[in-house]
Amino acid sequence: MQALRNIWFLALATCTEGVRHRALWAIVCLAVLLTMANLGVTTLYSWDLGKVSVEFGLSAVAFTGLLLVFFLGMKILADDLERSRIFMLLSRPVSIWQYLTGKFLGLAMILLLATIILGISSALSMQYVLWQYPIYVPPNFSWLTYLMAIVCQYMSLVVVLAVSVLCFSFASQPFVALLLAVSSYLVGQNMELLRRVVVENPYAGALTGQKNLVIALSWLFPNLSLFDKKYVAAYGMAFSSQEFLLLCLYGISYSALLIFLATLLFKRKELA
Amino acid sequence: MFKRMNMTHDKSTSPIIEISRLTKGFGTGRRKNQAVDNISITIARGEVFGFLGPNGAGKSTTIKLLLGFLKPDSGSLGILGKIVGQDEFRHRIGYLSEFPFFYDHLTARETLRLSGRLSGMSKQAMNQRIPMLLERMNLANAADRRVGGFSKGMKQRLGMANALVHDPEVLIFDEPMSGLDPVGRHQIKKLIAELKQEGKTIFFSSHILSDIEALCDRIGIINKGVLLYSGGLEEFLAAGVGLEERFVSLIEEDNRASVA
Repeated sequence: MQALRNIWFLALATCTEGVRHRALWAIVCLAVLLTMANLGVTTLYSWDLGKVSVEFGLSAVAFTGLLLVFFLGMKILADDLERSRIFMLLSRPVSIWQYLTGKFLGLAMILLLATIILGISSALSMQYVLWQYPIYVPPNFSWLTYLMAIVCQYMSLVVVLAVSVLCFSFASQPFVALLLAVSSYLVGQNMELLRRVVVENPYAGALTGQKNLVIALSWLFPNLSLFDKKYVAAYGMAFSSQEFLLLCLYGISYSALLIFLATLLFKRKELA
Repeated sequence: MFKRMNMTHDKSTSPIIEISRLTKGFGTGRRKNQAVDNISITIARGEVFGFLGPNGAGKSTTIKLLLGFLKPDSGSLGILGKIVGQDEFRHRIGYLSEFPFFYDHLTARETLRLSGRLSGMSKQAMNQRIPMLLERMNLANAADRRVGGFSKGMKQRLGMANALVHDPEVLIFDEPMSGLDPVGRHQIKKLIAELKQEGKTIFFSSHILSDIEALCDRIGIINKGVLLYSGGLEEFLAAGVGLEERFVSLIEEDNRASVA
């Protein structure tokens, strides 16, 4: 019970620290402006305005989320080590797994808050575009699918955050952790495409015959492209609740596994 | 003096802190730096133990080993009869690091509440103790200000309040007076003297020999990872020379011996 309390208190402190950080609001303001730019950008197109608007809005949420994970999240994590703040916490009866889980959940709460703000601002700009140009509203457009796409986007950010915590747990320098996390994100975004190219195409260049290696890597890296539902939301395509739940389950279990691995690696780290 | 020495001897039968043959190095092969080399220290209940040494001598490393932040290469450490690295004892100790850093955007009160909660304190206990500590540390007026705007002295006093929030039996301070102005130093020194009166066991490292002289029952002197002396302060000063003179001559002697 005390373990869960510790995690909650650490998450709350991390979230409070992040929410009061000017960087968070600078990024969120930038993103709100970006979603509002939707109104101008969409009019540059002469067809499919509704689809452009939905894709643009969701892309703004994804882009901002990544900025938050890589800059604010990694900074809060790195500051704990670089400024020896971690000693203040670990001199209490707090274990490494409680510390990392608390930090992770606190940062996930910041991301949730930012996603809600951005989701609403992008929905407002989309609503305006759809209202102005009703002829371009996708035939099966649904706000529920949009909401599910936003949740998937959030889950993808949570997985990237867990990857960042893992990198932070073993990297010697925060910059190295950031580099590894960004690289993992890029691999995760393109892994599915690479897997399909190698598995389905007998002429896959240098990777021909490396099917098993690529499949193994695709299991190892997060498959972030699965969470990308911009296209589905923009075209009003079918998105079953079963697929949605499976995606959420995948995101949560993958993140939990990464935090577990991060704990094992962090325990080996010397806090000099 | 005799009475105090005697008392110290009796207390040493049940050590509160026990460091035995502790060794710790960083790096590997030729580049290995032996930060702590086979040191043994025993501290009894209610004792104030001063850990002295030049910069890089191994004081902070020993403290980090004691708190389990670092793992020893060999040797053992015990606090309150618990084995460091195996048993949980941290709710019974208070720690102040050399450079206390906090969450910049939390207030002093929130910082203390976080530490209290993590130490398993009840809401009631925190509501009683935190205002009292803020008052004691002259931070009552800054209780609801964010810590990021605090001066070095205020942070150090907040660090002290943070170490004391759960009323621990054992206090471990790493350079508690470092970087403080004379007023700040005086406040911390006074506080340590009060804690000593309350019967707390205190282990602290310092460069400031006058503070060690004023506060400690026993001292340990470390140089290049090797413990050169561990025992009563009076015994160390037996020849009638001052602590500074005696300390400097011991360190210089050791440096000359290691060069030869």
